[in-house]
Amino acid sequence: MTRPPGTPGGGPGGPGGPGGLGIGIGWRPEISGFVGGLPGLGFTEVIAESVHLGHPPRDLLALRDRGVRIVPHGVRLSLGGAEPVAPERVAHLAACAEALGAPLVSEHVAFVRAGGIEAGHLLPVPRTRASLDVLTANIRRTQDGLPVPLAVEPIAALFEWPDAEYDEGAFLTELLERTGALLLLDVANVYANARNRGEDPAALLDRLPLERVAYCHVAGGAERGGRYHDTHTAPVPRAVLDLVGELCARRRPPGLLLERDGRYPPAAELRAELDAIAAAAGMDPVTAPGPAAGAA
Amino acid sequence: MTARPPERPEPLDAGLAAAQEALVRAMTAGGPLPDGFDAGDVAAAARAILGKRAGDTARAWPALAASYGGGWTDAFAAWAAERPTRGSLRDGWDFARAHHADLPAAARTELAVAEARWSYGGDREPRRRLLAVRRVPGGLAVQVRGRLRVVRRRTMV
Repeated sequence: MTRPPGTPGGGPGGPGGPGGLGIGIGWRPEISGFVGGLPGLGFTEVIAESVHLGHPPRDLLALRDRGVRIVPHGVRLSLGGAEPVAPERVAHLAACAEALGAPLVSEHVAFVRAGGIEAGHLLPVPRTRASLDVLTANIRRTQDGLPVPLAVEPIAALFEWPDAEYDEGAFLTELLERTGALLLLDVANVYANARNRGEDPAALLDRLPLERVAYCHVAGGAERGGRYHDTHTAPVPRAVLDLVGELCARRRPPGLLLERDGRYPPAAELRAELDAIAAAAGMDPVTAPGPAAGAA
Repeated sequence: MTARPPERPEPLDAGLAAAQEALVRAMTAGGPLPDGFDAGDVAAAARAILGKRAGDTARAWPALAASYGGGWTDAFAAWAAERPTRGSLRDGWDFARAHHADLPAAARTELAVAEARWSYGGDREPRRRLLAVRRVPGGLAVQVRGRLRVVRRRTMV
């Protein structure tokens, strides 16, 4: 039986796209019970590097078996690193996709290590032709090893490289054109970068190929020392929800996923956040049984 | 040209590789900031990474972090500022060994239990031990094939 799309406008995200996903939340061990208890959940995401293929989390397999789409989300591939992407990391991502029946996988437009030193987090790449060439090569190598489409996510960055040859919109558009990758658009990252650069976040939305969006991230952050940090440990600010509305007015993405990575609030607060995202996007809430719920 | 360790492949772009390495060294290993970057912005990003590492390490080493109370993030960040991460397990382990003399009983027990479970020389990934006995405050930690018991003396010393 085919699933009804999660939203009226939620058709395929592009050629080979995953179709309507609806509203989701990132699966983390600390909130496994909460995620599993969402009756209308359409999709979730798991940090690929946290999955032991020998014994994947039972709760995650239960979600898969009830028809919730699971997206393995890599954080350590270092697609933007000047060294070739490690085949064993690609193989792990591919094996996660197979084991979880994933419709797609995702990673970042970033690098995480250089010269054998781990940076400890996602770092921005320079917006240059040389950097585009390296990203293109690494994304193609990754795609060649994957059984499903790859979506790439532009990151939130507190600094920029000097001597940029492209603006962010042109850089990402060319990358997607060269590789055929889908876009994982993090609305909170768009907000954070624009706020820290003193720019209008909605202006970037007009520069991106929104028809290539596979799904979106939404998250909260905090201001420290005059800079907005995308921490994933705070409630989603009103301004980010407003930007979700701006995005959906242009083109509604197939799915929107809340990322929370610490300082987990009571379940009622998480439910309210999911409902607020659904309302901002004009999508069905997942906190009550709905048409997008997996049929028994 | 400097020799590269055999496990690291040739970069796709040597110039970009060098630029990325210089930036990572500046952010994590006390290296000089490359030209053209905003020093305040890069320092804020480096500090955010130290905060994230402190949180990850606290999850892997809860007693260690708890022994510093609200001062954990600052204490860890001061120690880790010029030490690139080797993963939260090893970051906490290295920190605990470096501060062993100052640690309260719970944190010393946590370290002793880790030492009983794993063989870790400090320069390579820890490996599981089949059998080990380690002194912990007030008793012994005994580990056989992954099963661990802490045996307390009746009278605390």
